[in-house]
Amino acid sequence: MKENKVRGVITLIVIALAFVSLLWPTSNGYRGFASLFNRIRLGLDISGGARIEYKVDIDKSVENPSQIAEDVWTVLRNRLDMANYTEAVVKQTFREENTFIIVEIPGATDTARAEQLIGSTGILWFGQVVDETSTNPKIDPELTNEAKREKAEWLLDREGKKWYLVKKEIANISSLKLVSPKIVEAIPQVDRNNVAGYVVTFKMDKAYVDVFKRITEKLYVPEELLNQGGIAYKQALKKRLAIVLDNRVQFAGFVTAKITDGSALIKGNFTLDEAKQLAAILKSGALPARLEKVSSGWVAPLLGKDIIEASIKAGIVGVVIVLVYMIVFYGVMGIVADIALLYNTFLLLGILAVTGSILTLPGIAGIILTIGTTVDGNIIIYERIKEELRKGSSVKAAISTAFSKSFITLFDANLTTIIAGLFLYYFGTGTVKGFAITLIIGVLGSLFVNLIVSRFFLELFSGGIKVKSVGKGGAKA
Amino acid sequence: MIDFVGKKNVFIILSIILVAASLVSIFTKGFYLGVEFLGGSEIILSVNDVVDEAYVRNVIKNLAPEFENARVTQIRSIDDPKDITKFSIVVSPLDEKGKLRVYSGEEKDMVSKKIVEAFKEKGKVANVIGFNETSGYAAKEIKNLTWKAVVFTLLAILLYITLRFQFVFGVGAIVALIHDVIITLGFFSFFNYELNVAAIAAVLTLIGYSLNDTIVVYDRIRENLKRARGKSIENIVNDSINQVIKRTINTSLTTFIVIFVLLLFSGNSIKPFAFGMTIGTVVGTYSSLYIASPVVIKWIKR
Repeated sequence: MKENKVRGVITLIVIALAFVSLLWPTSNGYRGFASLFNRIRLGLDISGGARIEYKVDIDKSVENPSQIAEDVWTVLRNRLDMANYTEAVVKQTFREENTFIIVEIPGATDTARAEQLIGSTGILWFGQVVDETSTNPKIDPELTNEAKREKAEWLLDREGKKWYLVKKEIANISSLKLVSPKIVEAIPQVDRNNVAGYVVTFKMDKAYVDVFKRITEKLYVPEELLNQGGIAYKQALKKRLAIVLDNRVQFAGFVTAKITDGSALIKGNFTLDEAKQLAAILKSGALPARLEKVSSGWVAPLLGKDIIEASIKAGIVGVVIVLVYMIVFYGVMGIVADIALLYNTFLLLGILAVTGSILTLPGIAGIILTIGTTVDGNIIIYERIKEELRKGSSVKAAISTAFSKSFITLFDANLTTIIAGLFLYYFGTGTVKGFAITLIIGVLGSLFVNLIVSRFFLELFSGGIKVKSVGKGGAKA
Repeated sequence: MIDFVGKKNVFIILSIILVAASLVSIFTKGFYLGVEFLGGSEIILSVNDVVDEAYVRNVIKNLAPEFENARVTQIRSIDDPKDITKFSIVVSPLDEKGKLRVYSGEEKDMVSKKIVEAFKEKGKVANVIGFNETSGYAAKEIKNLTWKAVVFTLLAILLYITLRFQFVFGVGAIVALIHDVIITLGFFSFFNYELNVAAIAAVLTLIGYSLNDTIVVYDRIRENLKRARGKSIENIVNDSINQVIKRTINTSLTTFIVIFVLLLFSGNSIKPFAFGMTIGTVVGTYSSLYIASPVVIKWIKR
């Protein structure tokens, strides 16, 4: 049987890859059986993680402070979801009239890494650059005075080399302010005019298009003027647009076209990483309030170590009972089902390891469902085989017919589950999203295992099936 | 041959009663929500010794009713000394109406004092170093799964099943799905079982399970419908169920075994998951046999 050889080879390659991905050396230190889990990132509920507490710095004059705290929560949640940290926990706490936000990130024991994931904790705003210098303005009274005169402040640039004098109110018009605008799209792109550099394009939400249009009208400088030099150029230097984040000027440049639709391009000689990071911060939303770090550290497993140990033991006992049950009920075919079950479990763990997905309790729920669907797929096939045997088919023919008839059932049953999973992933955040990922991976895996792996082993063991079925059912061979 | 279809009205009535009872319980009694949903008061406790969560849970469990289900997690700030362990204890104190309430300033002092004394009795020095109000983080995450999302998911499933089977099958699967989710939630409400993040995971798993189970039965009906034109729809459905019953029982039993062992021996915060799955497996299996299929019969007849 040539086909079955192909199945066998695929079966071996896939499981070998899963084990390679599980056992690839890593710095994590479990030994023995547990070393299989070294490369799987575990969720907060199972392994704990980094914990950082921020105070939300809300201006006292603000009308609706709780709404701002709420918006901060949403922005942080989105940022973590976008970085694939769906299992991170973001919660609000309150004391003495202040709002705090606690972010707990699984796996990361290094809080510096966690802070990097959360990204900027400052407010994003657009301003007007009126001057620049490379000497520290704090030690030069002339420059300090200039800042007072212009009602602007000196801010460092991204690299910490240059100082820009930036005004929040463009052209001193109080309505021309653009603080924490909502940005719907931001993409890092290769700069066509500069081989090594990257640019970021972005698009603002409808609500900010008008203000942005008026700002670009005020700061508009025709391109030919930039090449002329002289007084006109000096005038133009006072009309540059700045994007400020974390009190640093991320970008300062000329507006060479009036922007009427809210989409613009930022050119700042970015490296790919810088462009990606800026795009991520723009897209994931600008924080409406500054966050001040209060404390950082780690948190132990949310479920408690004792609880997890008891539950894992219970889970293993349950699975062993299922393995025995299948052999008692289906004999040789039961052994194949057991192989399929273990195969799919390791396959799922391998995929989790290689994709860097995070395993949490809801994820384990997904795995249990996967065990269910794998066993179910096998049972569906076996019952079909038995049916065919009762009709008098030979074992080989029975296996073949059973698989072609079961395919449609398995396909429809699993695809509806995957559709449900995709919608949960698309609409959900946090926990729900994490669950959807394991569910989708697991169901796809069980389909593969049922159609390829189980079939390979069934054909391999078909001799064993024959003897038993004939003895019991009395079918003609 | 078991007659599944003949007594369908009995089972439809049984299901209607169960769904109605569940809805009544959900809307009048509500849920006993876990701290992840409810939020509450977070006490930051520092103990001058190396102890674990189980120890702390044990010391505080009798201080007040709400401490029995306190969530205890160890935390550590970067600069904490090694011989001090710090814990975040979250409790959700309720008023007489079962609503979450906030400790008054005096109560906070009293609770703090009680905790410190309880540790003193055990010969340990403990300090309450923080007392915050905290929001339930899970409530917000689940809130983002709005009705719109639920409706879209159901529509997508309906569309798929309509394309692969017939419209009535899609309706049957969705009726069974809603039936299962409502009854499972009803059990949580009625038995005062804690509804936490793990329980939500169980409900989500149940959706996958219920769909899977229903489709397998439908698939047989579809196959037999093609073959036996002359037979009555009742007979076809009944034959189909009888043909897959062994598979249904074996699958349900194997899933049930894992979950039930987990329910018996797992720790407190995982129990709601096992409870939800146990109920879900039974209800999900029942509904694909007695609800999803009879619904199809009624519609095809018309």
